[in-house]
Amino acid sequence: MGEITKEAATDKIHDVIMIGAGPSALTAAVYTTRENVETILLEKGVVGGLAAITDWVDNYPGFAEGVSGMELAERLEKQANRFGADIRYGEVTGITDGKDYKTVHTYDGDMKARAVLIATGSDYKRIGVPGEEEYYGRGVHFCATCDGAFYKEKKLAVVGGGNSAVQEALFLTRFATHIDLLVRSTIKASDVLQKDLDKAVEKGQITIHLNTTTDEIIADDGKSVNKVNVTTDGTKTEILADGVFVFVGLKPNTEFLHDSNIELDEIGLIKTDKGLQTNIRGVFASGDVRSGATAQIASAVGEGATAALKMREYIEDDERTRLY
Amino acid sequence: MDKKITVYTRTTCVYCTQVKKLLDMKNVSYDVVNIDDDAKAEAHIIEKSGARTVPVVTITQGDDEQVASIGWNPGALMKAVA
Repeated sequence: MGEITKEAATDKIHDVIMIGAGPSALTAAVYTTRENVETILLEKGVVGGLAAITDWVDNYPGFAEGVSGMELAERLEKQANRFGADIRYGEVTGITDGKDYKTVHTYDGDMKARAVLIATGSDYKRIGVPGEEEYYGRGVHFCATCDGAFYKEKKLAVVGGGNSAVQEALFLTRFATHIDLLVRSTIKASDVLQKDLDKAVEKGQITIHLNTTTDEIIADDGKSVNKVNVTTDGTKTEILADGVFVFVGLKPNTEFLHDSNIELDEIGLIKTDKGLQTNIRGVFASGDVRSGATAQIASAVGEGATAALKMREYIEDDERTRLY
Repeated sequence: MDKKITVYTRTTCVYCTQVKKLLDMKNVSYDVVNIDDDAKAEAHIIEKSGARTVPVVTITQGDDEQVASIGWNPGALMKAVA
């Protein structure tokens, strides 16, 4: 990984800048760099994105026994690096469309490119209750693979009822003595995960609380979380927990685009045409950040390949237009 | 006085990998303490940081070990090692 150097942030017009370095952008980079299209990826967080912090990926083709999210991310990064992808740490603050190039604004300076791919994915939402921010890292967590092992022989609560919440709750049974799964409505996980969850419930490892809202995360000593206040079917109760892991859905990483005139849908996902191009010519979007995406790693990877081919077409057409 | 930078990590923590990449990028040398099987180091870093999370980066000068950043916090980390 590199950084945005003075050289990169000068007048040089790069072929492609990709914003994000998750599975979609890394795949797109494999395709572009393999065709000698110069490509820079700017990542503000973790290379591999949310996939990298998923403990186990069972439905990615080619891995019959499944693969850890971390290993999958490392393999994708290695493959993109093999063909010359230039992955840099950097946070983008906006995109401006120009006549001959796009300007990507970052905290470290402006960069120019002929085509831009936005593949910033999404992040886990917060529940927005008292205690959540205050005790972040001190009992409130969003990454089970990072922090689960701190809770050996402890009691945990997991908030959420979708695939991520159920999968991570199952992962956390490796450490915790018991897990209370706090589900606002009903379980919405896949059948496979639901079966594994049923087994964990039978073993007494997990207790499911349906129709339960999480109201407050509390640390009586002001330092370490020890309980969660919840409401189940209108009745307020208290659940003892040494830690709380939150997986309540995803929010798209598009806040940086608010002044960039890129069209978003009602939940903030980027609208594209069939060729994954946004309302701005030469600016493409792929993966979880795209309106209509399925939030699956395999889909994001496929979209990355499509976006790369479409960007190459765009650059070639653009060159032809300039010649005539 | 020389500063010693230490990164407390776990094997399955991708943010730990990212912190190490960031330090490598800045040509900053550091020691790694993997707390997976080191209960003493785990207890030490919980007490030091007040947090149950990794990565934690500390800077030690003499006998004084101070927490520089907790979790994935590139802004704080860059500032601390500058």
